[in-house]
Amino acid sequence: MSNAAKKINLNLKVWRQKNAEDKGYFDVYKAEGIDQDASFLEMLDVVNEGLSKQGKDPIAFDHDCREGICGMCGAVVNGHAHGPKAKTTLCQLHMRTFSNGQTLVIEPFRSRALPVQKDLIVDRSAFDRVIASGGFISVRTGSVQDANNIPVEKKSADLAFDAASCIGCAACVAACPNASAMLFVSAKVSHLALLPQGQPERSRRVLGMVEQMDTEGFGNCSNEYQCEAACPKGISVQNIARMNRDYAHARFTSED
Amino acid sequence: MLKKYLSSSIGKKQIVALTGLAMVLFLLAHLAGNLLIFKGADAYNAYAAALKEFGALLWVARLGLIAMFFIHFVFIFLLVKQNRQARGVQYSEPLHANTRSLSTKLMPVSGTILLAYIITHLMDFTFTHSNIANATVCGDYLGLYGLVVNHFSNPFGSLWYVIAMFAVGFHLTHAVQSVAQTFGWNNSKYTPFIKKTSVVVGIGIAAGFAAVPIYVFFLACGTSSCTLG
Amino acid sequence: MSKQLESHIPEGPVKDKWTKAKFENKLVNPANKRKFKVLVVGTGLAGASAAATLSELGYQVQSFCFQDSPRRAHSIAAQGGINAAKNYQGDGDSVHRLFYDTVKGGDFRSREANVHRLAEVSSNIVDQCVAQGVPFAREYGGLLDNRSFGGAQVSRTFYAKGQTGQQLLIGAYSALMKEVSTGSVELFTRREMLELVVIDGKARGIIVRNLITGGMETYMGDAVMLCTGGYGNVFYLSTNAMGSNVTATWRAHKKGAYFANPCYTQIHPTCIPVHGEYQSKLTLMSESLRNDGRVWVPEAKNDKRKASDIPEEERDYYLERKYPSFGNLVPRDIASRNAKYVCDEGKGVGATGLAVYLDFSDSIKRLGQKTIENRYGNLFDMYEQITGSSPYEEPMMIYPAVHYTMGGLWVDYNLMTSIPGLFCLGEANFSDHGANRLGASALMQGLSDGYFVAPYTLGNYLAQQDLAQVDATHPDAVKALSSAQERIDKLLAIKGERTVDDFHKELGLLLWDKCGMSRNEAGLKEALVKIPKIRDEFWENVNVMGSPGELNQTLEKAGRVADFLEFGELMVKDALERKESCGGHFREESQTEGGEALRDDENFAHVAAWEFNGVGEVPILHKEALIFENVALAQRSYK
Ligand SMILES: Cc1cc2nc3c(=O)[nH]c(=O)nc-3n(C[C@H](O)[C@H](O)[C@H](O)COP(=O)(O)OP(=O)(O)OC[C@H]3O[C@@H](n4cnc5c(N)ncnc54)[C@H](O)[C@@H]3O)c2cc1C
Ligand code: HEM
Ligand code: FES
Repeated sequence: MSNAAKKINLNLKVWRQKNAEDKGYFDVYKAEGIDQDASFLEMLDVVNEGLSKQGKDPIAFDHDCREGICGMCGAVVNGHAHGPKAKTTLCQLHMRTFSNGQTLVIEPFRSRALPVQKDLIVDRSAFDRVIASGGFISVRTGSVQDANNIPVEKKSADLAFDAASCIGCAACVAACPNASAMLFVSAKVSHLALLPQGQPERSRRVLGMVEQMDTEGFGNCSNEYQCEAACPKGISVQNIARMNRDYAHARFTSED
Repeated sequence: MLKKYLSSSIGKKQIVALTGLAMVLFLLAHLAGNLLIFKGADAYNAYAAALKEFGALLWVARLGLIAMFFIHFVFIFLLVKQNRQARGVQYSEPLHANTRSLSTKLMPVSGTILLAYIITHLMDFTFTHSNIANATVCGDYLGLYGLVVNHFSNPFGSLWYVIAMFAVGFHLTHAVQSVAQTFGWNNSKYTPFIKKTSVVVGIGIAAGFAAVPIYVFFLACGTSSCTLG
Repeated sequence: MSKQLESHIPEGPVKDKWTKAKFENKLVNPANKRKFKVLVVGTGLAGASAAATLSELGYQVQSFCFQDSPRRAHSIAAQGGINAAKNYQGDGDSVHRLFYDTVKGGDFRSREANVHRLAEVSSNIVDQCVAQGVPFAREYGGLLDNRSFGGAQVSRTFYAKGQTGQQLLIGAYSALMKEVSTGSVELFTRREMLELVVIDGKARGIIVRNLITGGMETYMGDAVMLCTGGYGNVFYLSTNAMGSNVTATWRAHKKGAYFANPCYTQIHPTCIPVHGEYQSKLTLMSESLRNDGRVWVPEAKNDKRKASDIPEEERDYYLERKYPSFGNLVPRDIASRNAKYVCDEGKGVGATGLAVYLDFSDSIKRLGQKTIENRYGNLFDMYEQITGSSPYEEPMMIYPAVHYTMGGLWVDYNLMTSIPGLFCLGEANFSDHGANRLGASALMQGLSDGYFVAPYTLGNYLAQQDLAQVDATHPDAVKALSSAQERIDKLLAIKGERTVDDFHKELGLLLWDKCGMSRNEAGLKEALVKIPKIRDEFWENVNVMGSPGELNQTLEKAGRVADFLEFGELMVKDALERKESCGGHFREESQTEGGEALRDDENFAHVAAWEFNGVGEVPILHKEALIFENVALAQRSYK
């Protein structure tokens, strides 16, 4: 690996914004001598180390696991949520994707429902509130039956798993022309709707979550499927279809 | 219940899809009628006359259609407005330039062309009644048939119509499969088929409708205009 | 001032202890639970499950984490699976076998009573998770699938592809959010705990920094639970998430909580090797790869040929050679240590010489590419993503990396630390895994602590207290707040030359060298001299930019590194004190003739619990003797 690694230079145009109230602007930086084996975030680390040494405020960005699983990282790079590579989070995007001399425009995920807190960091608490509006199965600890008393058809179990692999990073919102959160919400609705355990609250859940989603100020789905294209976990828009169906059904059959 | 449904994003979207679908069905029927033009003036006028026979019922249908159209438009307006607000600050770089399909991107544009088109279309054919002045072809009064032929012999008349049909095609290649998604019919087994159907319907409707002005225009201009009729 | 270590293990046969404890525990009247407020710090498996369950029981709960959402706690990264003694495969598993395996796996340095309880509740955990909708892998018949993991002789591991941690955490998180929706859990995200408030000798509150506004906030309650995860990041490079830290437990330690066995760290053998200066973290490659991959290095030193150019007879399959019966499947610590040995001899591969091959070509030949792809496809893709090289074509390169920390705050059988009212759950405490953790048992322990143990034992504590009403204006709370504030101001005032990461790297490298895979007296002593120097320089020459009253990531990092610089010293001290080899702690002075770890049960069958005595001062050691009544002490052998 390292034997072949090349160093490249890049021009960065990065969104800087002091806090939620600040208007924000683009600043330009040079990223020099970047190892192509480095990840995108490691490239930002190098730039930040340089900025600190010059006494400048480093670029703030969210990250934690750096393994593509926690959903903490994310930015829009040259118009692509999590960068140009499919099914990849920003922390797993490696610099060999880019070429020497390229200009990278780095912007935060943009949505009115996910306001910028600083530079590339956005507030995703809207997602937590959506989950709190029904994204669970109400079982009390200890009050459950033996796990194998609930057989689940393998196909449904697999589909539920696929939906549940959502990491809540919000790239779907960032990539949607309408800043809609339908992929995120439907992934949770589907995960639980596909399992027998999720049936008792199925109607209540979809109604509650969709209502909260709308309240948060996300846009509407226009079936453009950019969310699916941007999703680092490849969550399918079939989940959105399932939620559409469930929602209409629940609205007209339940008493809520 | 209905109020909540209509104020929700999914509810609004489903109303758009429902009204859109109704209009597609109308278009298919309308197309079948239009294509009678290839059978000649008699067949075409007979069809128009048969429609008139429905009398009051025809008006109910027309009102229904207008309602569909109006509801479609109003809900689109609401959705698009929310969508515009949802982004907040715009991106500086075009978003996902290479994964968005043109027909999808252009839904509001194709829709707006349709709006303009439908207004001119109604003015040209529905509210304009055929008379000696506008429906005489080579000295024969040919009723609605004549009106159509004369209108499309005019290059601007046909060109606008053809452009509009492109817009319909664009609108519907995305829209028909989109309806399935909106109502929740998306699974690995049928979706590829639905997507193909959508393209076929889109292109079919566009080509079918566009065939009329093209046929009229080229026959009318290419040969002596009196080969028609 | 030093307290006696009282482990509060119930009397009686090991298999009845937990039942007995549950019966004898004092209960809080259901109507009174509302009156108690519990502060739960951390939202990983341990924290989220505890907060949710306490709230279900009726307590008022406040839940804290430093990420933007509880769902992002580091538990999310666990790949392999979770153990439970269900015996669904009918292969002879039982509570006793899981208990036995875990005590033995921990190299006889854990409490029998705790481990037995863990094995007992393991089944309930899986039931609970399934009821919450955790999508575990299933068979065609619709029942749960299991696999054998980490060299276990039975298939008791439940898994959800390579994302078990994520699925379990989402389950616990959804249980937590269910309670948030009823209003009985209050969520405080982007808060970092910086101080513990102790009043009348009892834990009564915490001081946190709001990471968005930079404001300091005080939260008071009747008990505090620290569920803040492990301290692997003291090594700078580890498989832990970037934010994992020792701050919460360390600050509690400074307030009187004993820190137990800090030198027990687990080094995982199969990680992607370090490949550059800029590197910020290491990525784990699942242990399951060793089922089909063969580990080797070139026979000759400094052999720079491509792997494919090295003929079969010039390769050293050193694990198969040294451990013929276990081969490539020897336990983690042995696999790791041997990789280090061959690299130290100069046989390592890759640009840095710090890597060994994990070769799948034989398996691909034998089983076909398709089978290998089915088994490891996603791991191979991940490897290629990171390194740019395809394991189907070239052997993988791997090297050991810090992965898990068995040490942590000392807790009694009730998971209470030496400060009354301060509980510690999950990876943050020291219990259950002894000197070495078996694969798939950390997830089990976190959920056991949170769902099934702490909710009972907390009641027992609260029922016996007569706690005074206190609020944020209490002098001890005010003092704690100002001391946290002063520390921040001090960090920002230094305005030195070196970056925070620079110091962190220096500390990490030193610890990796002297207190990593193998340790010796001279090296440990050297580290004990160097660490205080690095720390002193840090406090004189670190450069922390920005101001306190804003989102300031450098400041956050600086605070964590400052604590690592104090904690690191204790870790080395503990390693020096423990003159035996056991589990993840290999003392070169204590090995068999064959070079294997040699325990010294006579002198070291104890928990080393350290009491804080001032920064740079010699800490006080308390020993809790470990008594083995159900599992016979034996030397591990994998030859
Ligand atoms: C890559 C990897 C793979 C693993 N695979 C497995 C596996 O297959 N099976 C297995 O059993 N185990 C595995 N483990 C180990 C296991 O994942 C962890 O030990 C376990 O999840 C720890 O859970 P926890 O709840 O104790 O802490 P964590 O999940 O680490 O949670 C810590 C919480 O505390 C909060 N916190 C920390 N410090 C502060 C502070 N100062 N102030 C406020 N909040 C704070 C954080 O925000 C977070 O919410 C793996 C570990 C790693 C690194
Ligand atoms: C006033 C003129 C029109 C405008 C402005 C318009 C606009 C739009 C827009 C923007 C959409 C996408 C909505 C979204 O996904 O959020 C849409 C969808 C649709 N339109 Fe139109 N349209 C118009 C006329 C028509 C006509 C005449 C038809 C039928 C022939 C039609 C059929 C449809 C259908 C079927 C959909 C798909 C609904 C879905 O996605 O589920 N529209 N329209
Ligand atoms: S940092 Fe966790 S997904 Fe990128």
